[in-house]
Amino acid sequence: MTSPGSNPRVPPAPGSNVPGSIPRVLPHVPSIEVEAVSFAYPEGTRALTDVSLRIEPGETLAIVGQNGSGKSTLVRHLNGLLRPTGGRVLLDGADVRPVHVAHLAARVGLAFQNPDRQLFAGHVSAEIEFGPRNLGIRGAELAERVALALAAVGLESVATANPYDLGYSRRKLLALASVLAMRTPVLILDEPTTGQDARGVARVQDVVARAAAEGRTVIAISHDMRFVAECFRRVVVMRAGRVALDGPPSAVFAEAAWPELRASYLEPPLPAVAGARLGLGATPTGGAVVAALAAGPRNR
Amino acid sequence: MTRLPDYVVRRPSGFYRSTNPGTKLVVAALEVLAAFLLPGWIGPAVVLAAVLATAAVARRLRGLATFGLAASPIVGSILLVNLFLLPGASDPIARLGPLAPTWSGLWFGLQTVARLLAFSSAIALVYLTTTVDDLLADLSRRGLGRRAIFVVGAAVQMVPLTIERAGEILDAQRARGMDTEGRIWRRARGVLPLAGPVVFGALTEVEERTMALEARAFSAPGRKTLLRVPRNGRIDRFLLWAALLALVALVGIRVAGRLG
Amino acid sequence: MAIELSAVRYRYAGASVFALRSIDLRLEPGRVVGVVGANEAGKSTVCLVAAGLAPGVVGGLLEGSVRIDGVETATLRPHELAQRCGLLFQNAATQLSNTTATVFEEVGFGPCNLGLPVAEVGDRAWWALGTVGIEKLAPRDPARLSGGEGQLVALAAVLALRPKYLVLDEPTSELDPAGTSLVAEALGRVARETGAGILLVEHKTDVLARIADEVVVLERGAVALAGAAAPTLADPRLAELGVEPPAAVKLERMVREAGIEWSAALAEAIR
Repeated sequence: MTSPGSNPRVPPAPGSNVPGSIPRVLPHVPSIEVEAVSFAYPEGTRALTDVSLRIEPGETLAIVGQNGSGKSTLVRHLNGLLRPTGGRVLLDGADVRPVHVAHLAARVGLAFQNPDRQLFAGHVSAEIEFGPRNLGIRGAELAERVALALAAVGLESVATANPYDLGYSRRKLLALASVLAMRTPVLILDEPTTGQDARGVARVQDVVARAAAEGRTVIAISHDMRFVAECFRRVVVMRAGRVALDGPPSAVFAEAAWPELRASYLEPPLPAVAGARLGLGATPTGGAVVAALAAGPRNR
Repeated sequence: MTRLPDYVVRRPSGFYRSTNPGTKLVVAALEVLAAFLLPGWIGPAVVLAAVLATAAVARRLRGLATFGLAASPIVGSILLVNLFLLPGASDPIARLGPLAPTWSGLWFGLQTVARLLAFSSAIALVYLTTTVDDLLADLSRRGLGRRAIFVVGAAVQMVPLTIERAGEILDAQRARGMDTEGRIWRRARGVLPLAGPVVFGALTEVEERTMALEARAFSAPGRKTLLRVPRNGRIDRFLLWAALLALVALVGIRVAGRLG
Repeated sequence: MAIELSAVRYRYAGASVFALRSIDLRLEPGRVVGVVGANEAGKSTVCLVAAGLAPGVVGGLLEGSVRIDGVETATLRPHELAQRCGLLFQNAATQLSNTTATVFEEVGFGPCNLGLPVAEVGDRAWWALGTVGIEKLAPRDPARLSGGEGQLVALAAVLALRPKYLVLDEPTSELDPAGTSLVAEALGRVARETGAGILLVEHKTDVLARIADEVVVLERGAVALAGAAAPTLADPRLAELGVEPPAAVKLERMVREAGIEWSAALAEAIR
């Protein structure tokens, strides 16, 4: 499994059409600031209370927590689908409140958990075209984006198929491709690996790694602690609408943080538990366990 | 323990709320017919009086008032149309340039509005004093097939679910750049991306829902056991038959031309 | 006494390809059999066929034999099948009847459909709620449950029919870790306390490592591997078959492949 920074790619010549290659023009990646954001639904339920986060351009961030802890509510504030009832959200220092969702969509892409909430086109490539078309992309560039997005998720062979003829996990990959084609500098994925088999998970990990290598900000909501520990440099744990923990996987899954994790109804991934049992220090991934064991007894 | 829990067995309490749902339906049917078949003002007046009185004792006046408020745009437009545009009216109240409101227009408009309010509030009263579950349980006891019951019950529960789903679909498409806040011709292009997933989602769910129902013996033959049994005492039955007889009599008399 | 699929081939109505090409499978009472495989390997189809809903309710063409306790499923009507084999799907919300006001009545829906006396319906509902461990959910509105609660209610609702076998198609896929744990625990308890045979399709092999006795691996409609849970989940061919092995198996493999000496302490830590 690739993790950011551990597998440097030699970038192909700029302008080449290798799938996943660094695009000719990378749009400017904004910083995101969530400033003391609170959100309550009209009937009164408080979903977020005083959440503050700063996300630098190019960061990879995973948001974890029990269902109902506010994860989905939080990310919907980043593309304007929800507006805070208290506090504000800033993109590159500018408040997003006056900006239409359709305009924010060009900068912040959000792939939803349930693909069936968005699929409507007669075939796969038309579905992928929808997003970029809304952003004004046409002609040769549109076709190129669709081809690259299909290649990124491995759906080239079904470009003309009807989306509802695909199985659930491929529909999910299609939904992901349709957001990738929008080439947004910030990419948010809501539960990208649920319902996926091993190959599907590997595809998603690949997509995250490539987006990160291109310098995009990648944010994912996930229940899969292994996916989180291996692919993201920062983990935010949410509980009851607040941030409970915020740091790299080695800190968030370290033994000292386990009481807080458990209070948030989460369990650390097995490598972290095994590492603690063996006194190896913080080992959130299998790779870290192996590295710590190989480094020998002086590390214990 | 074999005792059914209270919240299943407990019956609604309160005047008219505790009355049998089937009875309430027949009474409402009588009221609706009376509003139209009794001549002149008598129909609407009698029905409105009965409905308001019942609602007052059943403590549902506020609900009726809300409903009345919701109906006010229709009421207002019917009044205005009749006031100014009643064909053949020749007794103007005043002249306001090209417009001439007429007394007959006013009279007819008020009568129409009264009828409308009478019959719709009779139906609203049933809605305000009966829960869907009790209504379905009663219809089931009276022999309405389980498929019909399921369709009605599921349809009612599906409305909030579908609204929620539509909201999610709207969010998903907006996140892909579909413009919902801009110019109207752009918004018009959003019909298929919004309607599509609602329809396809509902259709793809049908098969799974069917299988889930079959897996719970939905099509087993014979009478279903009822856990929730609404009251059907002597008064309820008497009221139902009385209302039914009055209904038949009303229709009969009207057909025979005895009423105006 | 078992659910037995022998030389089963199945094709959905209107499809040109056989979703199941050659399946032999046996589910005995009291055993938990896990089914894994890449997506579209036929796992959901096996569930429908084993429970008798395919071809009975969904149509299609079935070759070979599917027998529940010796009786061919093709000869049983859906409500008779429901009392022998319960079936649960991924999405808790679509399994609600949408006609009941409380969880108690939802769990009693099945027995009511069978026309059982009120006392027995009450008995079965309380028993099912207790076995799954959700008595405190009984007064709640079924439409307002969380994903995990909904699946537990669906499980209780199916149990109320007292089936001898249970077939579950990815019941935890939409649940968070806490919900997954609740469902896994409940299933283990059901197998032990009721002696039901459970067929469980799962991507989360960690759940299977916890509660399954046997594991069957499907590939393109046929059985590629089968055997006791622990050795089958540790089989190195799982990865190429599109299945993620349990975390413990993966970690052990990584440590061994790095040339690090294995020891009892390591085995204990990675358990």
